[in-house]
Amino acid sequence: MRTDARIEDLLRRLAPQVLGVLVRRHGQFDACEDAVQEALLAAALQWPEEGVPESPTGWLITVASRRLTDQWRSEHARRAREDTAASLVTRDEAFAPPAGDEPVPEEDDTLTLLFLCCHPALSPASQLALTLRAVGGLTTAEIARAFLVPEGTMAQRISRAKQRIKATGIGFDLPPEPERAERLRVVLHVLYLIFNEGYTATAGPHLQRSELTAEAIRLTRAVHGLLPDDGEVAGLLALMLLTEARRAARTRPDGALVPLAEQNRDRWTAELVDEGAALVADTLARAPIGPYQLQAAIAAVHDEARRAEDTDWRQIVALYELLERISSNPIVTLNHAVAVAMVHGPEAGLELLAPLDADERMATNHRLDAVRAHLLELAGDREGARERYRRAARRTTSLPEQRYLEAKASRLG
Amino acid sequence: MKYMLLIYDNAQSREAFFGPDGEALMAEVNAVMKELTESGELVGGEALADPSNTRTVRVLDGVPAVTDGPFVEAKEHLGGYLMVECETPERAADIAVRWPSARFTPLEVRPIMDQSGPEL
Repeated sequence: MRTDARIEDLLRRLAPQVLGVLVRRHGQFDACEDAVQEALLAAALQWPEEGVPESPTGWLITVASRRLTDQWRSEHARRAREDTAASLVTRDEAFAPPAGDEPVPEEDDTLTLLFLCCHPALSPASQLALTLRAVGGLTTAEIARAFLVPEGTMAQRISRAKQRIKATGIGFDLPPEPERAERLRVVLHVLYLIFNEGYTATAGPHLQRSELTAEAIRLTRAVHGLLPDDGEVAGLLALMLLTEARRAARTRPDGALVPLAEQNRDRWTAELVDEGAALVADTLARAPIGPYQLQAAIAAVHDEARRAEDTDWRQIVALYELLERISSNPIVTLNHAVAVAMVHGPEAGLELLAPLDADERMATNHRLDAVRAHLLELAGDREGARERYRRAARRTTSLPEQRYLEAKASRLG
Repeated sequence: MKYMLLIYDNAQSREAFFGPDGEALMAEVNAVMKELTESGELVGGEALADPSNTRTVRVLDGVPAVTDGPFVEAKEHLGGYLMVECETPERAADIAVRWPSARFTPLEVRPIMDQSGPEL
C-alpha cells in the first residue's frame, strides 16, 4: 500500500527535524536514527487512516522517543538477566515516556545532519545511503530499490555507516569554520551523485530511480534555503533544475538515448528552465564563481536555445575555458573540445583531445574514443570515426550508450 | 560499479574443497563472505551444482535440442559466481585474489552492464 503522497512529503520534510531533536537530547545517532525510522513507519500507517495529528512534529518526536526508551529498557533487561547488579538499575526518568506533544524544534538541523551523513570518514556508498535515510526520510527498502541492490545489502551499508560514526566519535555539530567549505563540498558532491543516479536511469524496471532526482532537488533546495548566499549551493540547484528540465526528451519510450542536439525541445520543462536560468544568473552576479555555477551556466545556454542550431557555442567555449582554469579534469576537456569544434571546426577540437591520450585517467575510459569519433565524423573521416565508435561501444558499461554508439558506427558503415 | 566474479573450477579443485584442507578453505570463503556482507558490497552469489547435472539447450533451425551433460568436456567449468558492488575495479580484483579457489582455477572479474545512460 502506498502512503498518501502528501503525507509522504510531509514525513520526509519532518524526518531531519525530528532526528535533530532526538540526537541533541540523547546523543547516540545510530539508536535515534532507528527510532525515527520506526516513528516514520508508524505515521505512514496511521496518519492516512486517523488523520494527520495537530502537531505532526510533536507526534513523531513522542513516538520516536518512546521507541528509544523501549529499546533502552529491553537492553537493560537483557543486561539485568546477565548481571546480578541488576538491582541497581532503577526506572529513572530517562525511561519515562514523554507525556503528550513535544515542543517543535526552533532550529533546523538539516545542515548538521547532512554534514554528519556526508562525513569524509564514510565510504561514498555509505554517504549516499545514509543521507537518503537520515535526511531524506526514505526507507531502506526504497533506497535499495533505487540503487538496484538487495535490501540486506543496503541495510548493511547504512548500519556500517552508523557504526563508523559511533566508532570515530563524530559529534552532532556543524564542522568548525576552517573545515566548513571543504565539508560542504563533500555534501554537495553526495547530493550531485544522488541526482545523477536518478537522472541517468532510462526505462523499464529502473524507472523508479527517477525518484532520486526529485529527492536530490528537494534536499539541495533545503540547503539553498539555509545557505542562500552560497554560490555553489545555488549553482548545484540550478544545474539540477536545468538538467532535470530535459529529462522527458532525453530518452525514447524504448529507453534509447537521444543526444542533446536531437532532443525535441518542446518536451523540455519550461518552468524548470526558467527557475534554473534565473537562479544561475542571480548567483553569478553576486557570488564567487565555482564549478557548479559554471556547469549550470553552460546548461542554461543550452536550455535557452530554441533550436540546437541556435546554441551560443562561443559563450559555451568561454565558460569551459573558465571551468578548465578553476577545476580542470579530463571530462571537462572532452566537453570543451566538443564546444571548440562547434565554433572553430572539428580539427581544433581534435587538437584539444590530443593531450588526453597520455592521461592515465582516460586509459580505460571509453568517452575519449566516443568524443574523438564524433569529431572525426564532423571532419569527414568516416572510417576513423566508425572505428572509434566501435571501440567506445565495446568499452562502455552502459547498455543504452552501447546501443547508441553501435548505431552511430553502423550508420557510417 | 557492480562486478560479477565468475568462479571456475575443475574436478581437482572441487575435490580440494572436500579433502583434508577443505575445512580451512571453507573458512577462508566464509571470512571473505562475512567481510563482503558487512561492508555492504555483496549483492549476491551462488554455487552451481556439479557439471554432470547440466542440461544443455540449443535451438537449431527452430528445433529445440536438450541434451544431458555440458556442451563440451571443458577442462574448467563455471562453478559459481559472486556479485559485488565496489568503489574500484582494483577492489573487485582484490576480492577475487582472496577467493581460495583462485589457487587452483581462475576467476574472471567482469563489470556488469548498467541500464543507466549518460548525458550525450
